[in-house]
Amino acid sequence: MGKSRSTKKPGINIDMTPLVDVIMLLLTFFMLTATFKAAESEIVEVTLPKSVNTDSTKLPDQDIMTFTLTPAGDVWVDVDNYEVRNEVFGDQFGIGLYHPDSTSKSEFELTGKVGDKALNRSVVLLNKEEFEKIINDLRLALKNMSDNKRDYRIVIKGDQETNYGVVEDLMASLKATSNTRFALVTDLKSD
Amino acid sequence: MAGGGGFEAPEAFNKRQKKYQKGKKLGVRIDMTPMVDVIMLLLTFFMLTTTLATPQVMQINLPKGEEQDKVKVDASNVLYVRVSDKGNIYFSHGKADGTEMPPENINLTNLRKELEARHAANPNLLMLLKFDRGMNYNLMVDILDEINRAKIDKRYTFMKMEDTDKEIVRLAGG
Repeated sequence: MGKSRSTKKPGINIDMTPLVDVIMLLLTFFMLTATFKAAESEIVEVTLPKSVNTDSTKLPDQDIMTFTLTPAGDVWVDVDNYEVRNEVFGDQFGIGLYHPDSTSKSEFELTGKVGDKALNRSVVLLNKEEFEKIINDLRLALKNMSDNKRDYRIVIKGDQETNYGVVEDLMASLKATSNTRFALVTDLKSD
Repeated sequence: MAGGGGFEAPEAFNKRQKKYQKGKKLGVRIDMTPMVDVIMLLLTFFMLTTTLATPQVMQINLPKGEEQDKVKVDASNVLYVRVSDKGNIYFSHGKADGTEMPPENINLTNLRKELEARHAANPNLLMLLKFDRGMNYNLMVDILDEINRAKIDKRYTFMKMEDTDKEIVRLAGG
């Protein structure tokens, strides 16, 4: 009797083992499901429009060609493979810039910045013909590199404030290069 | 290592030491509090980062082929959806003789209901989306989202907004 008594400390002693078990499970779950976006693709930042998800299509993990549309009316074309960038843009951190409105200059040419941020990547300025050629070149480069096994999925990341005219011009260029399937990236909106 | 003692204690300890030793259990007892603290922090971190990164995509398929090979559609099945640069949405049905009904202003909040009603009246409805170049991209996504959510056949295509369309929209109120 006295022996068992003496094992008890004064005060309450909580056994944390079940708590730790549950937390460990949750931690494993979140660690496995967590997906981090590549930091470099976030260089041109946009506020995505929101949409209600109806077909639960998610952004693919790799082999994506991103067209980022800024409120200033610029189209930034980028891919997620640095070897392809090296081949097509001549720099592994290259990024293409196309300003569809030929009567004005792009924001980058005027200020050297995107939004209020400076860009530390080598920018390739493109006109309409060069832009359409680059789209084909990027796809070809990846196809050649992978024995025709991989191809780019085209996604458009437009800022909410972008004018539709930019989207229209981009869609015309995509159609001219027979890229009729593409996806608009949106944020989830709860209805 | 304070909790880990006990098993190597020599037999020849004095009585007082032995009594003190009794209060301890045999085996190792680890204080889990610091571990729980760290795990909790990690858990919070991963929970917050996962919920933030949920971009999704809206699939768009443009018709293949050149602008010249036009697909013939019955003019009475056409629903023109014109959107002005101010973001006002106008619906007008095509008539069999090629002309069209006067435009009706539709609110974005009613868009889905209107589309479902019109689709129920004519299941072969084909939407021709004519967006003004000055319109907001956000509105385009909103409209496509409403079309996707409506329980109808998603038959739509994008068309260039011509000057005649702009005139129709302007006369209807801009």
